[in-house]
Amino acid sequence: MAIIRIHHLVKQSGGHRILDDVSLTIAQGQVAGIVGPSGSGKSTLLRCIVGLEPFDHGEVWVHGRWQIRGGVTAPRDTLLQLRRTVGMVFQQFHLFPHMTVLRNVMAGPLHVQGKSRAEAETIASHWLERVGLKDKLSAYPAQLSGGQQQRVAIARALAVQPQALLFDEPTSALDPRMAAEVMRVIDDLADDPALQVAMVIVSHDLSALRRIADVVHVLDRGRLVYSGPADEALAPNGPTAHFTSSEQPR
Amino acid sequence: MSIEPAFPYPVGSGGRLVWAVTLCIAIVAPVAGQEPAPATEVLRFGTDPTGGAPYIFKIDPAGPYVGFEVELASYLAHKLGRRAVPVEGEWSTLPELLDKPRHGEKGIDIVLNGYEQRDDLLQHYAATVPYYVYRLQLVAHAEDDSIQQWSDLRAGKRIGVLEGSVAFDYCQRRYPGQVLPNKDVAIMFEEVKRRGRVDATVQDNPACAWFVFQEPVYRGHLKIVGEGRQPGFYVIYLRKDDLQLKRQLDDAIRDGFRDGTLQRLYSKYGLWNADQQWLAWSLTGQFPPEDDAPIETLSSSGGGSVIPLIPKLLQAAGMTVFLSVASFPLAMLLGLLIALGRVYGPSWLAAPLTLYVEVIRGTPLMLQLYFLFFMMPKIHPVLALDPLYTGILGLALNYAAYEAENYRAGLLAIPRGQMEAALALGMTPLTALRTVIVPQAMRIVIPPVTNDFIALFKDTSVCSVILITELTRRYNELYNFNRDLVVELAILTAALYLLMSYPLALVARTLERRWGTPHVPR
Repeated sequence: MAIIRIHHLVKQSGGHRILDDVSLTIAQGQVAGIVGPSGSGKSTLLRCIVGLEPFDHGEVWVHGRWQIRGGVTAPRDTLLQLRRTVGMVFQQFHLFPHMTVLRNVMAGPLHVQGKSRAEAETIASHWLERVGLKDKLSAYPAQLSGGQQQRVAIARALAVQPQALLFDEPTSALDPRMAAEVMRVIDDLADDPALQVAMVIVSHDLSALRRIADVVHVLDRGRLVYSGPADEALAPNGPTAHFTSSEQPR
Repeated sequence: MSIEPAFPYPVGSGGRLVWAVTLCIAIVAPVAGQEPAPATEVLRFGTDPTGGAPYIFKIDPAGPYVGFEVELASYLAHKLGRRAVPVEGEWSTLPELLDKPRHGEKGIDIVLNGYEQRDDLLQHYAATVPYYVYRLQLVAHAEDDSIQQWSDLRAGKRIGVLEGSVAFDYCQRRYPGQVLPNKDVAIMFEEVKRRGRVDATVQDNPACAWFVFQEPVYRGHLKIVGEGRQPGFYVIYLRKDDLQLKRQLDDAIRDGFRDGTLQRLYSKYGLWNADQQWLAWSLTGQFPPEDDAPIETLSSSGGGSVIPLIPKLLQAAGMTVFLSVASFPLAMLLGLLIALGRVYGPSWLAAPLTLYVEVIRGTPLMLQLYFLFFMMPKIHPVLALDPLYTGILGLALNYAAYEAENYRAGLLAIPRGQMEAALALGMTPLTALRTVIVPQAMRIVIPPVTNDFIALFKDTSVCSVILITELTRRYNELYNFNRDLVVELAILTAALYLLMSYPLALVARTLERRWGTPHVPR
């Protein structure tokens, strides 16, 4: 069953097509990697999916019910429902600096799902334990390493029980050791059969994607140039070869 | 002794023009009966034109000042072979101009502006013989049957008086809690006429005679109630070492009474009465045998200790605190809403909110308070708020503009990613603002906001213009009647401000330490 379906999505800016007729589908529980050279539109595509970025043509369907159409302002309720179904983890974490780690993760259950404080705390504690930060509940984001902050961001996104989770270059702001730490957490979540959360991971870490992703979509200058199994896409002479030779994967 | 004003000039609809022409001629021409003399030297007299008619005023805004004291100054200068030149100042501080160099900016030779003979002033300055006997007169609305005599004021009537005047002191002592002081005489007659914020006003009889009988706008709307009270003398103040000038002025005043010049002058303004006749007899020593009753005159306070005044200052300090703590939360709330409207609101809302901020920031707080207090009731009577509410509202509206700019800066300082992260979690924009953006912005702006709170604390003194007695106003009131305690009162008042504002600074520092830096752990 498709969680996210993208039909002929076009986004233009200043006469330039940032995304050019992109169509793809993300199935339930599937882990999809999106790769491509810098400026190919990977992050923009994720932002279009959750309605943080408007687009000009095409459609985004989530769960077959919530639709964003190009050139049309999406209804407020549609956006809310869609974002409660599809979570997002950002490159720069964007944790709320005035809240403790626990409060950051409680924010969704408390303010989005309307759960009681006790329920929200239980949920938040569970997810923080899951990402290995049980001992950091009362810390503030500024007291954590980058890798720990990104793990909090993942826990925060998961706490609202999304059916899909979008990762926008989750490790590119981290040093290799911390990046490996974060990818290990994502790997662990992807392997959890009980979770059944579809994941879309934009990353330059091709070796990690080869390990985690079921499928890989390759974007080049806004166009989707390849969709297929990760092993094939990331093979040395596969569709990513021409940009991985000039850009060192992390 | 009653006042029997004489009104030698017609003042009907056509009479006003005649009156104006007469006065203009009077100010330009030398006083009748006097030979012109070369007037190369000037006699600078300190005066406050805002005191208005009949003392000093203008009929034509572009024309010269007229008024019985302007003519008196002209007469006296003429007698001294000089030319009278008015030097404008604020009424309550006119005597202090005598402490400045005579020929410097705002330098004066004499103070001639309805100043009473008072012990506290006589300690510092010399005074001439009296040139006028005034009495405190009660004026109410002509149709107000509830005020028929002075004792009717005791039924909680609100009484407008000139700040720092003897009338103020008199009413404060006799009708405590009912007095609304103001610096503008005309405003109080206006308030009585439209039955606004005051029920009656107590003024010196020259002002009352003018507004009740001479000024066409008020004639028929006002009435003089009961007998004049608390008689006292208007004198001219000058430097203590100006003995020759004092002698010349005393002689000129006596001459003026003796030859009838001052009777004619006062009569022209409807100010000649039995009291002035008595003064003329008294100064010239020409008492008729049947009328030698002395006038009991006012003895003002002075020469005392500052200790008894402390409770009065503390009471006013309470009002300062109340005004601050009542208005600032409103300013913060309104400022936050304005900032949110400008940063996150619909595009059509930004322009009017920006206009509001610019208009408020670009105009003086005093003017805004004047507008709320005096102009709004003219738009609709229901908008006539009590002084206290007007003060709180005025301060809140004014400071809201400044707080809006603080909050706007705070909101713009929050990285865009914070709002995106909150929205991506599924929060509504309002929830995102409430739980994520505003709390961070509030922390960022703690230093400027607390700074503004301390500034507002001191700006409450501007509320004195709308009849609120806060610390600065109380200082002025006390100072007016205790000029010998000027240093002690000033130090005490400054100390009170410091005592109240320093804890605020400490609170501000604590808040900054705890919440002021959101990206750094506590």
